[in-house]
Amino acid sequence: MTQDQVIEALLAFIAADNADDDAFNAMALDLFAYQFENNTPFRKFSMQRGRTPRTAKTWRDIPAVPINAFKELTLSCCPPEQAARIFMTSGTTNEGIRGKSHHPTLAVYDASMLKNFKHRFMSDLDQIDMGILFPTEDVMPNSSLAHYLALAIGNLGGPDSHYMMRHGGLEFDLIFAEVERAVATGVPYALLGASYSFVPMLDEMRRRGKTFALPAGSRMFDTGGFKGQSRDVALDDFYNQLSTGFGVPRSHCVNMYGMTELSTQFFDWGNETCPSVKSGPHWIRSRVINPLTGEDVPRGEPGVLVHCDLAHFNIVSTILTEDFGFETDGGFVLLGRADGEEARGCSMAVEEFLKAAQGMAAE
Amino acid sequence: MIERAGYLPGLQPDDVEWQTLRFGPDDARLEIAVPVLSDTQMKALAGRVRDASRRHLKTLPVARIVDIIDRAIARMLDRDDPYRRKAEAMLPVVTGYDAEMIRLGLTGYLKTFRRQGLNAFLSEDFPNPQILDEFQPITKGGFARAIGPDILAHIWAGNVPGLPLWSLVSGLLVKSGNIGKVPSGEPLFAGWFAALLAEIEPSLADCFAIVWWKGGETSREAALLGEADVVLAYGGNESLEAIRNRMPITTRYLAYGHKISFGMISQTALDLRQAPATAHQAAYDIVRYDQQGCYSPHTFFVERGGRVSPQEFCLYLAHELACFERKYPRRDLSIAEAGDVAAWRHRQEVKSFSNAEVEVMGDAAGLWSVVYSEGDEEFAPSGLNRTVKIIAVDSLADVAPRVAPYRTLLQTAGIAAAPEELFVLAAALGQAGVTRICALGHMTAPEAGWHHDGRFNLLDIITMTEIERSAETAADAFASYAD
Repeated sequence: MTQDQVIEALLAFIAADNADDDAFNAMALDLFAYQFENNTPFRKFSMQRGRTPRTAKTWRDIPAVPINAFKELTLSCCPPEQAARIFMTSGTTNEGIRGKSHHPTLAVYDASMLKNFKHRFMSDLDQIDMGILFPTEDVMPNSSLAHYLALAIGNLGGPDSHYMMRHGGLEFDLIFAEVERAVATGVPYALLGASYSFVPMLDEMRRRGKTFALPAGSRMFDTGGFKGQSRDVALDDFYNQLSTGFGVPRSHCVNMYGMTELSTQFFDWGNETCPSVKSGPHWIRSRVINPLTGEDVPRGEPGVLVHCDLAHFNIVSTILTEDFGFETDGGFVLLGRADGEEARGCSMAVEEFLKAAQGMAAE
Repeated sequence: MIERAGYLPGLQPDDVEWQTLRFGPDDARLEIAVPVLSDTQMKALAGRVRDASRRHLKTLPVARIVDIIDRAIARMLDRDDPYRRKAEAMLPVVTGYDAEMIRLGLTGYLKTFRRQGLNAFLSEDFPNPQILDEFQPITKGGFARAIGPDILAHIWAGNVPGLPLWSLVSGLLVKSGNIGKVPSGEPLFAGWFAALLAEIEPSLADCFAIVWWKGGETSREAALLGEADVVLAYGGNESLEAIRNRMPITTRYLAYGHKISFGMISQTALDLRQAPATAHQAAYDIVRYDQQGCYSPHTFFVERGGRVSPQEFCLYLAHELACFERKYPRRDLSIAEAGDVAAWRHRQEVKSFSNAEVEVMGDAAGLWSVVYSEGDEEFAPSGLNRTVKIIAVDSLADVAPRVAPYRTLLQTAGIAAAPEELFVLAAALGQAGVTRICALGHMTAPEAGWHHDGRFNLLDIITMTEIERSAETAADAFASYAD
């Protein structure tokens, strides 16, 4: 297949209403063959795992590339210099090296994002006034989330939509004025941003003694968690504060789980209870595996998530994350990383060593 | 089966709240009840220990304390003793380590604390151990006596069986009252040992206590920290820092952070006769407690130029690890630990794609991994749980500069080299921050009286009270028989 053929096929695949097992497998295997042929490091990786397009019978047979490979290797089917856009991870871990995803076109990414976002976040609405608690695409051209939110506000934002973060800080006065305006007009309103950007806003509301009652149909969108960016917040507390602070029921507080290494995102159906069940559209599928053996764990048992995202066509479609979770009815549940687990011994672990070594370098 | 952890003199079990920790698979479930003390109970316990240690422990000659500990250790070494039987039955379930590995490990470890070992501990720190009993003349003139704190608080961590003994025995030898907090990963051993001591010498029954709280629970921790004269804690730097921040400034704090250790193999140890044995010993150090100890090796620097190349040495080592896996299988890993091992191994594999200098060997189920590297890559921890990196070097003299940037994190270097190399390397390693050098095969079993992280086990705990010569001379003037 040529790149154009792949793009055309994928756009049609995404536009379709659904895909059965056979259709998903066929597309996944076609993509595997395409990536195997055009992406040299991925071909080496697959061969080392003893997998080639010849021996793969279903999407489950496609070797999953560990996400740290995105940091070490250039995984791209097109020559990297022909990429229209490169999304990079934030580089907060692993010695500051950033994982890269090259996109020769954003057509597939955008189609994937918009269709899924309309279905899972907009649902009944054609547009909604949005407040974006994240920088613009100009400021962060390599951030997939900045692009994601730009698509949201550009395509589905109402006339009174605004970015509300400037120079790295939230514009509290603007946020509260906009929310108050929505309360006064009775038009549904949405706040969208990284989970950690909601925390200082909630803190500021408490400081100012503010709460709001947004009109029915208003909703919240957060993504990415809190680790390392703001103080850590228990999920139940977070959604309780959001809900009581803005008068938006927890069922309308939606969390998106996405990654720079994917072109498709997962959503829950609100956070009435935590942790919520996440699921994605028909062009992405997930497995839960034992990370050491690569075998599927029995359904319901915890393991590491593997995603096969057809929309991530130029890079690799099947990735091995470092996220823990378990499969359940209607999707999977993400588990916090080793919550509350004490270290086993007094031997240094990689994460702690990096932190300590960085501390020493800073002295 | 329910086993009670802890040792709480003066408290009736019914007056204490208990929480249950569960260990082992469904068909061999072991439930351990751990005590959850109120602040008042913790304070009362501290008062009791302080008082008893003043009245009983501090009046015993140190030789007598040695005798009591020696008798307790003899009981723990006796495979028919009920405490020993309990340890052999329960510790494998609690920690997940192979039962035979624990049995052998316990015996080897406990032998360190027999009479001769205890005397080694004492004489390492006190040329004249009687200084713990009464004022002794000192070289500068005058007299001194070493006085243990009323309460030495121990905050233990990890799941390496028996680890609390190091500091508990140190505390007893200097006659301090001891209150130890056991970790959830191995909450049993310290309590058994305390009960055994009380059985052997009932007058000491109130001189120590073993407590528990959930890691990070600050209020109970604060209750103990407020009562202690000296606090000795093990753990990661983050939790150690948190403890320091909750402690009165006047309390002495001995923090033992997580460490990283490594091995060095000279070309002189890599002839065809020596290499297999060297690999066997290196593998043993890796396998013992699955690299959970601060003395466990993460990396081996292997010198080029021997009959067996560093790359060939990897094959020997891989073979040994595979054999050990049959003899002492690795503990079942939690999903988070498996994730860490997998992430580490994947990172190495990914490096090997872009870098011909890196090679990854391992078994399919991820039970062990050996990574070979001949580049100038950064010294770093392995993924633990039987994952190790072999770095080829032209000369072992290159190693000290490579590890020196991490000096505060270093601990043991296991060395296989000829005598003339050993002392030259040791000097450079000491400069770089290494505090313990031992033979391969001995990395996980420090000898009696070792200086943990380069410090003094006993001297760091005590205070010296000195009678200066002037006081002695002046006293003469007030004697009834003064001329």
